[in-house]
Amino acid sequence: MTSLPHQIEFLFGHEKVTLSFAPGNAMPPTTTVLNYLRALPGFTGTKEGCAEGDCGACTVVLAVPEGTRLKYLAVDSCLIFLPMLHGCQLLSIEHLSEHGQLHPVQQHLLESGGSQCGFCTPGVAMSLFALSKTNPTATDREIKEALTGNLCRCTGYRPILEAAHSSVIPAQPDHFCVCEAEVASTLNHIRAGRITLQLESIRQCYYKPFSLEKALRLRKEFPEATLINGASDVALRQTKKHEQFHQIIDLSSIEELQDIRQEGQYFWIGAGARMEAVKIYFENLIPSLGNMLHRFGSRQIRNVATLGGNVCSASPIGDSLPLLMALGSYAVINSLGISREIMLDDFITGYRQTDLHSDELLTAIKIPIPQPDWITRSYKISKRQHLDISTLSAAVSLKLSDGSIADIRIAYGGMDARPRRAPLVENCLIGKPLAEETFALGGQILQQEFTPIADARSGSAYRQMAAANLLVRYYHEIKPHSE
Amino acid sequence: MNPRKPFTELSHSHVSGQSLFVDDLVLPHASLVGRVVYSKQAHALIREIGLTKALETPGVVCILTAADIPGTNNMGPVVHDEPCLARDEVNCIGQAIALIAANSFEAALNAEKKIILDLEPLEAITTLEAAIAKGLLIAPERKIESGDVETALAKGTQMIEGELATGAQEHWYLETQAALAVPGEGHEMKVFASSQNPSETQAIVAEVLGIDKNAVEVEVKRMGGAFGGKETQANHVAAWASLLANACGKAVSIRLCRDDDQIMTGKRHRFLSRYQAAFDSQGVIQAYSVELNADAGCATDLSLAILERAMLHAENAYYIPNVRITGRAYRTNLPSNTAFRGFGGPQGIAVIETVIDRIARTLHADPALIRQRNFYRDAPAHTTPYGAVIKHNHLAVLLNQLTQSSGYFSRRQSIAEFNQEHALIKRGIALTPVKFGISFTTSFLNQAGALVHIYNDGSLRVNHGGTEMGQGLHAKMQGIVCSELGLPPEKVLIDATNTSRVPNTSATAASSGSDLNGMALMDAIAKLKERLQPVAINLLNALEGFALKGPYSIQFADGQVFDARDRGHFVSFGDIARQAYLQQISLSATGYYRTPGIMFDRQTGKGNPFYYYAYGMAVAEVETDTLSGEYKVLRADILHDTGRSLNPKVDLGQVEGAFMQGIGWCTTEEIKWDTEGHLMTPSPDTYKIPTINELPEIFRVALLENQPNPGTVGQSKAVGEPPFMLALSVWLAIKDSISAVADHQYEPPFSLPATPEQVLYSITALKTQKKITIQ
Repeated sequence: MTSLPHQIEFLFGHEKVTLSFAPGNAMPPTTTVLNYLRALPGFTGTKEGCAEGDCGACTVVLAVPEGTRLKYLAVDSCLIFLPMLHGCQLLSIEHLSEHGQLHPVQQHLLESGGSQCGFCTPGVAMSLFALSKTNPTATDREIKEALTGNLCRCTGYRPILEAAHSSVIPAQPDHFCVCEAEVASTLNHIRAGRITLQLESIRQCYYKPFSLEKALRLRKEFPEATLINGASDVALRQTKKHEQFHQIIDLSSIEELQDIRQEGQYFWIGAGARMEAVKIYFENLIPSLGNMLHRFGSRQIRNVATLGGNVCSASPIGDSLPLLMALGSYAVINSLGISREIMLDDFITGYRQTDLHSDELLTAIKIPIPQPDWITRSYKISKRQHLDISTLSAAVSLKLSDGSIADIRIAYGGMDARPRRAPLVENCLIGKPLAEETFALGGQILQQEFTPIADARSGSAYRQMAAANLLVRYYHEIKPHSE
Repeated sequence: MNPRKPFTELSHSHVSGQSLFVDDLVLPHASLVGRVVYSKQAHALIREIGLTKALETPGVVCILTAADIPGTNNMGPVVHDEPCLARDEVNCIGQAIALIAANSFEAALNAEKKIILDLEPLEAITTLEAAIAKGLLIAPERKIESGDVETALAKGTQMIEGELATGAQEHWYLETQAALAVPGEGHEMKVFASSQNPSETQAIVAEVLGIDKNAVEVEVKRMGGAFGGKETQANHVAAWASLLANACGKAVSIRLCRDDDQIMTGKRHRFLSRYQAAFDSQGVIQAYSVELNADAGCATDLSLAILERAMLHAENAYYIPNVRITGRAYRTNLPSNTAFRGFGGPQGIAVIETVIDRIARTLHADPALIRQRNFYRDAPAHTTPYGAVIKHNHLAVLLNQLTQSSGYFSRRQSIAEFNQEHALIKRGIALTPVKFGISFTTSFLNQAGALVHIYNDGSLRVNHGGTEMGQGLHAKMQGIVCSELGLPPEKVLIDATNTSRVPNTSATAASSGSDLNGMALMDAIAKLKERLQPVAINLLNALEGFALKGPYSIQFADGQVFDARDRGHFVSFGDIARQAYLQQISLSATGYYRTPGIMFDRQTGKGNPFYYYAYGMAVAEVETDTLSGEYKVLRADILHDTGRSLNPKVDLGQVEGAFMQGIGWCTTEEIKWDTEGHLMTPSPDTYKIPTINELPEIFRVALLENQPNPGTVGQSKAVGEPPFMLALSVWLAIKDSISAVADHQYEPPFSLPATPEQVLYSITALKTQKKITIQ
């Protein structure tokens, strides 16, 4: 490839910023937005609390254009690499007030007593700002969902919740409304350029393609390159383990991978679809998926994390995987000119291992449209209900025939080196009547099926007991109502 | 950018992102980044520290080890048993061995990787059980006794005994430990710290540098949360930064990464307590014997004071005629445990609340009634196990008001009905009280200073010895000054806490910040008012139409000064200040306060260690999924005693915040170490503090009204710690829901924290337990 552009463009507030990453640049492209911001004079309002997306003290808002409007996304700046700002407007706490006049969300936080030590406050304010812009009629549940990713150790949250309720008022114009169309137009102009960016520093080369075809070519040329999309998992290797990445292919700007649609008998979810978008799309269509994603990370994480990333990280827990398996999903895989599909069960081959070859990319997950005679539920058990990695997760889907189980798919996460189906239990349960004893029996067989580990999240015995009990819970949820 | 303007409300700068924390300060030219290299082994001899390769790393300026410390190699605040840098031996994972100063964080990291640590492993004690078995006491055991326990236990109608484990807790202040050390002329060192105890930070820095305190200035603008975690252990990072700054002659900042902070710093002490109690058929406790065994970690730190407070709260709100409280702190190869909101109180109180809960289950009685029967009473006055007389106690009024406002008794009935109808979901409810002693139990610490400057334009800059960590101390202090001098908040700036302005201060701890510093400020203001009065009288007399004669009754209000008898004639505060200056009257005054009448004899375990007690009560209701052990808090009602609140908004914030932090300790905040002493929960990924979703679905918090506290600033009460312990209501409500699985016929095994895992184990165990029999 010859002379690809080596700079990114974004708006910082209203200031257009061009950052050049020419070979020999000292600052690597994977510099986090948090570190970039805090090095700017006068922009230390954004705080580092954990550098792993678990506390939200570093929350900033990215405005992305949707036609002439802007969509405001709260994200954890500690997990965002600078090139992800390309074509976005970056807003930090310093941008909220204007001419010394607090933004309404700041005023509400002040009045409610929602700020004590003040360290989490800028992040809370930014989450509230994004919420007030995107959902001015938010319910209590939706408010809590938007603030799950902001830990506060002082207030106990009650005054923050109060400030949030005051903040979600329809038709509350602010100074961002005035220039919305102009900002969108500027961003659309930046986004019009679709030539792969080649961003470099002394020790790093970072490619940002805009089409699948270009991405597949890069993948073939640089099979060792680290693939990222939202990077919410990969970024931790840099921020926590201090690993250095030498080659990166960033797939987050490939629009064709972000689509979610119905295609024949399937739902087609692009591998680059953001978890938040997947959650919203399926909330009513597949409630078990919507519910699972309600407890997946936080709003900030779901705004960047992708379904493809979650699947390809092949974590032993991988919240979405057991459910996708129970729904009989497929992985759609592409290399240059070739496409193949395999069952998700077969795609995950081991501990953090997949069937993806060095010239391939996961392009989509296909979920068969659930048939009305199948009953599906998903479960997540964690020490803390929200923003916690599952101790174990499970999904059960079955089809009844004359009061007996005609077919069943059961999958667990957190019980083995990889999320997987439970064939021993499935085979045992097929043909049995829909009764509590059947599922209790399934729970017993589960003990032969899995030998879970003990770790920081729980002991092995708990995983065994809870996994078995979830089958009983499933039965009680789906059993016909007694007289 | 926003224009800079004065903040009328202190948290204005927070919500606008302009508040500066240590890591936000504009660094002096050519500042360096410091990094701490710590042990990855829990107990080992240091054979050699190989620095050659590391020193060659580009960007590295210097690397220090114990041998390079110019002063004393100690950071122990009370007992000098904690080296600043390990010399011959390491005693826990996370113990500092070397310090790196470099031009960048990356350079420091690169150097760290090249340091060769040759360690010879020794046996490591990583569980409290092992330390108890080996008798590894960190200090001789302590006792507080009253009555005749042996006889009363033998005579008791009924007896229970058992063991309770309460877990450690990580502070999880949002701002990790940080310090910036800036060398000055000669030996001088200025440290910008995030410390609850600037005077002690100053002392430790002076000690490791081998210089006098007068050469060390420590300044604390604010902390991003502390909760006790920055009472002594903020000294460490300040000492390390100062050593590097001293060696390099350049400013050095250190901010611990979250995981390093969690691995290196101490926690709330885990306890393993054993108890026996005898009680009568009404559930009135006749005798109580308890052993409180604390895991001190590898050094003393504040463990003995914490153990002492646990012992002084072992009976909580209950009068027990025959008591023996035994306290022991054990040494393990874990980071030295330290202060944490409640300071041992929660650990002591959890045991007696367990005892009451068990008595109620044994007698098939409502636990709230058993509590009521055992409450301290004023007339005839009860005395505590340590011989203090209980006066003005609010337990009865709290119980009355709270059971009514929360509908406790009718809800207990509805819950019983709900549990009859639901096999898999069970609900539980509990009411728990707290009585918390206010004062440092090390009596001499109960002193404070203040320094108030009035400038000749009528504006004030106010200094006091307390530090601001989010608890609203500065807001309360500003409120006191404003109301005493009748000034608007924008005229009263609360300065950063600084050892050069107010010396020899105590830690902002033990909930004492407002009590002590507020009184010291009152003292300073009284002096200033006395000086301003004659000036005011002169100016008033010069006004046309002012005809009053003495004695004058000079008042300060609305920015004006006037005689109470004639509101129509007044002088502005600014004019008085200007006139005082012209008359060569000092406009600056210091204030001082020491708490009267308190003492405690550690040898006899007797005395009057507390100036007063703060009281509170909570009712919590939970719902538990018996298949998974998961639960949620459906409702919590709190009534808390803050005397005549200095600032109700701040006090409500303290009550709610402490309660939620207590819920964390009681439920999801589980700390695990592996057998080698590695922290298995070193980040928020595995260590789970409450999120907004853990907020009780219904949360009603109120301050007890019409109960002023005589003898304190504004007749108020301290509030920082006491409400933490009210979260035990959630813990016991969970136990009540578990107990419902077997219709309250069996005693559920229970410990703290009650993670979903522990709850499910308890539910499972219940099914094989023996029925409670009445002896």
